[in-house]
Amino acid sequence: MNLNRIADMLEAELVHGPAGWEQINIETVFASDLMSDVLMSERDEMLLITSLSTEQSIRSAGIVGSEAVIIANKKTVTEGMIELAKDQDVALLCTKFPKYESCIRIGRLMGA
Amino acid sequence: MGEEQKTPLQSSLRVQELIYGLKISEVMTKKVFAVSRNCTMRDVQQIMKNNGITGVPVVDSKRVVGFVSMNDLMNALEQGDMGDGVTSHMSGEVQTLAEEMPLSFAISAFNKFSFRSFPVVNKKNELAGILTFRNINLALIRELSRQLREMENQHSAVPETESMDLVKVYQLHRYDFENGGKASSEIKKFLKARGFHAKLVRRVAVASYELEINLVAHSIGGMLSFDINADRVKISSHDRGPGIADVEQALTEGYSTANEWIRSQGFGAGMGLPNVKRVSDEFAIQSAVGMGTMIRAVINLKPEKQNED
Repeated sequence: MNLNRIADMLEAELVHGPAGWEQINIETVFASDLMSDVLMSERDEMLLITSLSTEQSIRSAGIVGSEAVIIANKKTVTEGMIELAKDQDVALLCTKFPKYESCIRIGRLMGA
Repeated sequence: MGEEQKTPLQSSLRVQELIYGLKISEVMTKKVFAVSRNCTMRDVQQIMKNNGITGVPVVDSKRVVGFVSMNDLMNALEQGDMGDGVTSHMSGEVQTLAEEMPLSFAISAFNKFSFRSFPVVNKKNELAGILTFRNINLALIRELSRQLREMENQHSAVPETESMDLVKVYQLHRYDFENGGKASSEIKKFLKARGFHAKLVRRVAVASYELEINLVAHSIGGMLSFDINADRVKISSHDRGPGIADVEQALTEGYSTANEWIRSQGFGAGMGLPNVKRVSDEFAIQSAVGMGTMIRAVINLKPEKQNED
C-alpha cells in the first residue's frame, strides 16, 4: 500500500518527504516506543509508528531499512530529527492520533 | 580539513587499536621467577638480585597465593627479618590478570593500582607469566615498527574509490545519544553504495548500532572500530569500564541494568547484546569489572559463509 493513502487516513502532516514519498510501498506496520524492539524486527517495507519523538527513532528506522516514520500523538518534531530524516532518506510524518488508533485506522485500510 | 591534520589522530588511534588488539599473553614475560611458601625473604632477595627483577610471585601448586615486591623486601631488610618465611611479608591479596585479556585491561589495571608488575594466570588460574610496563612499551614499539614497515611496502598502492577495504575508528562518549548512531549510518551507506543486499546491510547496521548504543548508554566511553574487506565486516567495541559482572546474564534477553533515562530514550530493554549476537556470524565478548568490555562481531559478506539463522 502506498504511503500517501496511509497519510490521508491518519490525517497526517508531512514533515519531510524525499522525492516520490507518496509512492513508498508499505507492507507492514510496526508500532512501538521501544527502539530495542524495532531493532529486533526483520520485516521489510515497514512503517514505524512511534510516540518517541527523538532522533533515535529516525536513526533506528534508518538502521532497519524502514523508509517511513509517523510520529503519533502530535508530538513535537525537532530540527535534529528532520535533518536526520533527510540524511537517512526517511519520510517523516506526524499525526494527532495515538499509536493504537493509528493502527486501527491502517488496519481498516488494509482490510485486516 | 587537510591530510596533515588527520595524521596525528590516525596514529594515536593506531596505538589504541594495538592495545585493544594485543592479548596479555602476547606481551608478558613467560619466564617467571616464583617462590613457594616455604622460601625465605633471603631467597627472594637472591632471585631479585640475580635476575634484575622487582617482584616475585609466591605460588602453591602453581596458583598465585602472594606477591613479594621490592617494598616488602626492603621492609624485611630494615627490620632484620630476612630469615623469615615469605608468607609473613608477602601481600596476600594479589591482583592477577588473565592471559586472554586485551592489553587495554592491563593498562587500566596499572592506572588503578600502584603495582609495578602483575602476575598473569591462565584459564586454570595457574601462573603463566608476569607483566610489567616495560613489556607493554616494548610490545607497542615492536608492533608499531612492524606496521610502519608494512605501510612503507604498500606506499605505492593508490586507494581506489570503489575499494571494499575500510578501516575506521569512532570514539563514543557516555550518554552522548546524539552522536550514537553516526558510525552505523556511515558504514551502512558505505556497504549500500557497494551494492550489498539490503538484508546483509541491515545486519551490519543493527550490530553496529546496538554496539554504539551500548557504549553510549552503559560505558564510561570507548571506541567502535570497523575492519571491512571483501569477505567480511569485523566490528570491535572497546570501552574503559565499568565492565560487566556477569557476561552470561548480560547476554540473556530481557536482562538489563539500564536506568530510567536510558529507557526514556527507547533503549534498555535488555535486548542489545543478544541482538548483536543474533545478527552476527561470529560473536565474542570479554569483560572485567573495573577494566572494561571488549566485544567483537563478524558478519560475513560472502553468501557461502553466511549464517542464515
